[in-house]
Amino acid sequence: MYAKEMVKQSLPLIVFCGLGAIVAGSTLGIMIDLLREIPGLIVVVPAIIAIRGNISTAFGSRLGSAYHLGIIGADNLWNEELKQNILGSLFLSLFVSVIIGFLAYASSFILGVYPNPFKLISIVILAGLISAIILNLLTIVIIYLVFKRGFDPDNITGPALATFGDIVTMLSLFGSAILVEVVL
Amino acid sequence: MIYSWKKIVKHGIPLLTLTILIEIFAGQILQGKQESLLLFPVFLISIPVINSISGNIGSVLGARLASGLHVGYIKLSLKDKEMQDNLLISILIGLITYLILAIVIYFIALFGNLIEDIALIEFIAIIVLTGFFLICVVSFISVLTAFISFKRGLDPDDMVAPVVTTVGDIMGIVFLFTVIGLVGVGI
Repeated sequence: MYAKEMVKQSLPLIVFCGLGAIVAGSTLGIMIDLLREIPGLIVVVPAIIAIRGNISTAFGSRLGSAYHLGIIGADNLWNEELKQNILGSLFLSLFVSVIIGFLAYASSFILGVYPNPFKLISIVILAGLISAIILNLLTIVIIYLVFKRGFDPDNITGPALATFGDIVTMLSLFGSAILVEVVL
Repeated sequence: MIYSWKKIVKHGIPLLTLTILIEIFAGQILQGKQESLLLFPVFLISIPVINSISGNIGSVLGARLASGLHVGYIKLSLKDKEMQDNLLISILIGLITYLILAIVIYFIALFGNLIEDIALIEFIAIIVLTGFFLICVVSFISVLTAFISFKRGLDPDDMVAPVVTTVGDIMGIVFLFTVIGLVGVGI
């Protein structure tokens, strides 16, 4: 039956992505002390997760289109098109991290919570850059493997990056918060 | 060369900035409830999960509607049987997923000593009820977004995913705290 097919095809993947999100959520659970010590840190969590997902799935889907257009392939991967995509994704990450940090600080300030702006913004920028670099590398590895096997990248990069994206982003935020707490 | 980093940045910024504004709003709700969340970390763990499921279900539904509209087997009417079937099945898949993951989260939290005074049944009730409200809203928004964008000659494939994930992130947090208030676990 039609309904049965739909459940069979999409339920496992959605449950699997949910399990990935549990890993991301548990990272948040471990960060309790940091969240208490750094006011404003919890404000950036939804934004940083959503933005990372948007930027990396767009990156993955552009590489998918480039593959279909014949611009990149398994034996022609590291070229100028890919470099432009990587640069674009990195600059975009840097730019949105600054906006997230600034808006988190400004909105908290208006609501009467007074975070340390320098600390908060450096944590977001650091987390944004670290997760962008890791996820870009991961995307290229995934794309390379997909090309090599002759699969369609459009079917694979989206869910794979969404799942890894949450985990990598939360771990980067955790790491950056610890680093900034220690250094500053 | 068809890609340039400047174009990628320029095209990405408007939508991303709008998303950030809405997500910061979601973040401020979390900050307002921070004390309760730190006392009941099991709900802190649940937030990315609640949002991930609704985002995925809304996106899958949107992609299916988009294909149906493009090919022509779904008509642009709220009475379309095919669309209604897709909507119902999405809600069903959502309920099953929330149930499974609520149990997984509960036992992970139990294992990590993060559960305080919440019974398994109580926790499942909170997550599944939150999920049910959320999936209904997200699926409905997915249908509306797909229909409206298709009607205006835009590709629903580009529109649905960003809209449903952003709306889902906000509504997920709102519904979670509403349901916790209704069930009353003292948070």
